[in-house]
Amino acid sequence: MSELKSATDQAQVEQKIYQMPPKDGITIAHFITVADVARSLRFYETVFGGRVESRGDSKGAPGYIQIANTWLIVNVGGGPTPDKPTVTLSVPPDPDKVSSFMNFRVADIQACYKLWRSRGAEFITEPKPKYGETRCYIRDPDGYIIEVGQSNPGVTYG
Amino acid sequence: MSQVQVGRKTYQMPPPDGFAVAHFITVTDVERSARFYEKIFGGRILTMGNSEGAPGFIQIANTWLIVYFGGGPTPDKPMVTLSVPADPDSVSSFMNIRVADIHACYELWRSRGAEFLTEPKDKYGETRCYIRDPDGYIIEVGQSKPAFAYG
Repeated sequence: MSELKSATDQAQVEQKIYQMPPKDGITIAHFITVADVARSLRFYETVFGGRVESRGDSKGAPGYIQIANTWLIVNVGGGPTPDKPTVTLSVPPDPDKVSSFMNFRVADIQACYKLWRSRGAEFITEPKPKYGETRCYIRDPDGYIIEVGQSNPGVTYG
Repeated sequence: MSQVQVGRKTYQMPPPDGFAVAHFITVTDVERSARFYEKIFGGRILTMGNSEGAPGFIQIANTWLIVYFGGGPTPDKPMVTLSVPADPDSVSSFMNIRVADIHACYELWRSRGAEFLTEPKDKYGETRCYIRDPDGYIIEVGQSKPAFAYG
């Protein structure tokens, strides 16, 4: 019985297809404040093969770009707004002081390092071994860091 | 195995080919954050990590949230320091949850303990509100207006 239930749960997970905007439930994107929407869209399109879905407009619509399993939303800074009356958005004031970032988990980090560098990505260092993984970081046009990491063989989640 | 399907493609963590995108946040308490994202959004905790450097992993909808303590610099980012938000009102990037029914999400997530900055408000092309997570990160919750499509 528990095997049957587990098989059913698995099937339901596989049947859930995420889209943007979602027709039901939720779909998660990552937002970054940028200096130049067109420049950022071009960067994520060129380096990572992202698909630009909207270039935004001057009335406040942001740029949308699908990258692998998620969407990146980019817009200029500003605020506060009525829905966040205390919050101001700006590009990173100090790109070396970081709290959150996009994390690209890859199957072959050496291949990604070579390919993405050939497309113009600036890496802080070459890939380096860390606990459980090999890792390096890209700076995007606004100074955001993007982690690129490959888990060591045998590492699984879930 | 942890996998999600977006469009026609299935993404796994870790990926057997190509790449999958996750969102990393520096946190004060890995377990507190993992429990928050599990309880509010129905995330699935894949690992709580450990003190040797393995982070917590939570699958949420089409992506994964990776949570760990601050620190650094490290050899692969020799000038970068990670910390929880120094000023939660000065923000550059955030997780953006696009929803099909924002009023239903607002009621459900509030009933589970989420703290919203305001109730959902009308904006250009969408209805929007924001949650504060335990470390002060804002999480945007937004529903696009009907007939709004991308791509």
